[in-house]
Amino acid sequence: MTALSLLPAGALLPAFEWLQHTYLGETIRHSATLIALLEIVHLIGLTILIGTILMVDLTLLGVGIGRHPVSRIARELDAFTGIGLGIVLASGPFIFCSEAVRCYRTPVFWIKMMLLAIAVVFHFTIHRRVTRAEPPEPRQVARIVAGLSLALWFGIALAGKGIAIFQP
Amino acid sequence: MFLLSICQWVDSTRLSAIIRQSNWLFSTLDTIHTLGIVFVAGAIMLVDLRLLGLGLRSVPVAQLVSRIVPSTLWGFGLMLVTGGLLFSSEAVKMYHSPAFRIKLLMLVLAGLNALLFHRTVYRDVARWDPSSIVPARARMAGLLSLILWIAIIAAGRAIAYAPGYDLG
Repeated sequence: MTALSLLPAGALLPAFEWLQHTYLGETIRHSATLIALLEIVHLIGLTILIGTILMVDLTLLGVGIGRHPVSRIARELDAFTGIGLGIVLASGPFIFCSEAVRCYRTPVFWIKMMLLAIAVVFHFTIHRRVTRAEPPEPRQVARIVAGLSLALWFGIALAGKGIAIFQP
Repeated sequence: MFLLSICQWVDSTRLSAIIRQSNWLFSTLDTIHTLGIVFVAGAIMLVDLRLLGLGLRSVPVAQLVSRIVPSTLWGFGLMLVTGGLLFSSEAVKMYHSPAFRIKLLMLVLAGLNALLFHRTVYRDVARWDPSSIVPARARMAGLLSLILWIAIIAAGRAIAYAPGYDLG
């Protein structure tokens, strides 16, 4: 699988190599403690992110808790979703730059990045509009949006694990 | 030692050998276990945040607990099964892993904390829930749970960095 089909094959490789050979990349790469700490932070961020998104999407699907309006649940959890997203986005690049070249050669890394880009845009546009809608969007719309959101974030978490498993 | 000889016996079983020798089986169990913890801890975190008065303040504690706890128990069962199988594939290594011991200890403490919460302050939930002020003991249980689950995730991740493991 080509990394980014819009670019000529291998166009990004020098940038990835450079990143891995920076002082930061080398330092993290050679410290099992740093990598472990970064992965722990990343995983805890993901837990906060997934937990809050799960709650909002289940409410959107109509299988949440009681009959609380989605807009209120979403508003009450928004800050935590932001914190979780902030933690994963802040820790991820550090882990990445310690093994940029390996990531480059791992298709599942590119799948994760594509899904992540789609999920972030989707989250702050369509998902936000639907979860904030007053009066609520029709049930079918809400269900499709919740299903998509859950599938995207689950896919990202799965692909993240996949990066560690599929070593080229 | 008694525990060590049990671990040695576990390692000598056929089940242990099958998982140890099958890359895909180990990876699948590992993936289910990791994604599972993200969902289980994410859901528990919602209850903790509510007890701390930080999130989902419009949802009554009793409603949240009665909806979330049963699902997390199922999830926890899945964690036990996948975790037990992962453990069985390298029991002696786990016996020598400090991170694994810390994780087990934290799990026991998290269980005791939850049990104590349900047996004491949660019994009167109907009395304090409507007042929207969470009693100090319940807040304490929420804070402890939050800290313990973060520690469980951290220790779990750290197991992969135990001596003798390949990094990554």
